[in-house]
Amino acid sequence: MNPEQSYPVPKLDSGTVIDHLRGRTALRCLQVLRLPEDAQITVGINLRSERLGRKDIIKVGGHELGGEEAAKLALISPDATLSIIRDYEVHSKLDLVPPLRFRGLMRCTNPVCITNTEHVLGGFLVLSNDPVVVRCEYCERSIEAAEFAWE
Amino acid sequence: MVAASDFVGRDVITVGDFQRDEILFLLDAADRFSAGHGRPLAGRVIATLFFEPSTRTRLSFESAVGRLGGQCIGFAEGAVSSQSKGETLSDTVRVVEGYSDLLLVRHPSEGAARLAAEYADIPVVNCGDGAHQHPTQTFLDLYTIRREVGRLDDLHVVFAGDLRYGRAVHSLVTVLALFRARITLVSPQFLCLPEEQLDALDALGVQFHETETLEEALPEADVLYMTRVQRERFTDPLEYERFKDAYRLDLEVLKHAREKLAILHPLPRVTEISPEVDAHPHAAYFRQAHYGVSVRKALLALLLGCADEVLA
Repeated sequence: MNPEQSYPVPKLDSGTVIDHLRGRTALRCLQVLRLPEDAQITVGINLRSERLGRKDIIKVGGHELGGEEAAKLALISPDATLSIIRDYEVHSKLDLVPPLRFRGLMRCTNPVCITNTEHVLGGFLVLSNDPVVVRCEYCERSIEAAEFAWE
Repeated sequence: MVAASDFVGRDVITVGDFQRDEILFLLDAADRFSAGHGRPLAGRVIATLFFEPSTRTRLSFESAVGRLGGQCIGFAEGAVSSQSKGETLSDTVRVVEGYSDLLLVRHPSEGAARLAAEYADIPVVNCGDGAHQHPTQTFLDLYTIRREVGRLDDLHVVFAGDLRYGRAVHSLVTVLALFRARITLVSPQFLCLPEEQLDALDALGVQFHETETLEEALPEADVLYMTRVQRERFTDPLEYERFKDAYRLDLEVLKHAREKLAILHPLPRVTEISPEVDAHPHAAYFRQAHYGVSVRKALLALLLGCADEVLA
């Protein structure tokens, strides 16, 4: 095996593999995901990828990611894939696509937006998938991916 | 084909909630309500939840309600509401909707009216939410332009002053796209129209031009929309001092204007229009403030389903 193509990460018996993350986005994903403290996590950064050139990968042992976590990942790295692993096999696989609109997940970055003074979940429209740009449904400010303030 | 029934029970949060035909229907209704109206709001209670000071918007709404036979309840600043005791906007809305048929909301936070509308089962009208939107101001601006210039389509509109924080400008500038307006934006760079608004104009295919010189913009204008530099929107008082006198429209500057021009201003005016302009035939800003009553009468009656008799 070509050493450039081998991934020094162990195979999962159960959990989630997040693959095809854009290069150097894995650490931001982990910050945002807030995984359980006992989750076993393996991270690969800047691995070679035919599709992306460089990609990141995250393996989360013993924890299956849900819809909310998938939505967050899609907003950070559109086109990533999420595979649920059970008994060393891929049980299900999902292409991550940003939702058209969503509630919660992040806060509006406009300090005078009403969602920052009232205790309400923010609501957002996704204006563009690549690069990801969202618009607050209350104050209507556009927010670019680099500015996202995750919940 | 727009009908009066299309308005019943609706919220009025941003101008973007309304199509061109609906706006024209509202302006036609305002014409009818300016002539005569009876008491279609008799027995109706309108609540004014004004968490931020207002003179024209609040008084013209109260005048509209009174002239239509309805009654107003409410408060004119947050300090006299339960907000001063820590009550949230959503709680205030849920309480007051039980006392009234329609809520008029002004609030310093952007998006406040949208939030209020989510909690209220009765119509909510945005009377200004921070620097975001002020849709009824836009409707009365359009009504004024149509009354003063005689049409809304294909006009050259010049906006001058604080275009960064002026919510009246933010609302009007995009809706003018529906009427194929050509727009000139006159402001110091610090107070220029926010990038999002410029992007929106681009996306709508509006022809616009930015300049810092009023005299340069004036010769081709059909409408001049002057605005005040708003002290209350500045966090740094020194910056306010730098820009407060950026523009001053006087009779000398007006010599650059064509023979037919309508000068609008959402008021209050400070120094940006010299009092000597008030008597000039181009000065439409006080009539503009008065037209607000007709537009708001029509809007209230339509939202509450009481306009049929006047419009018949």
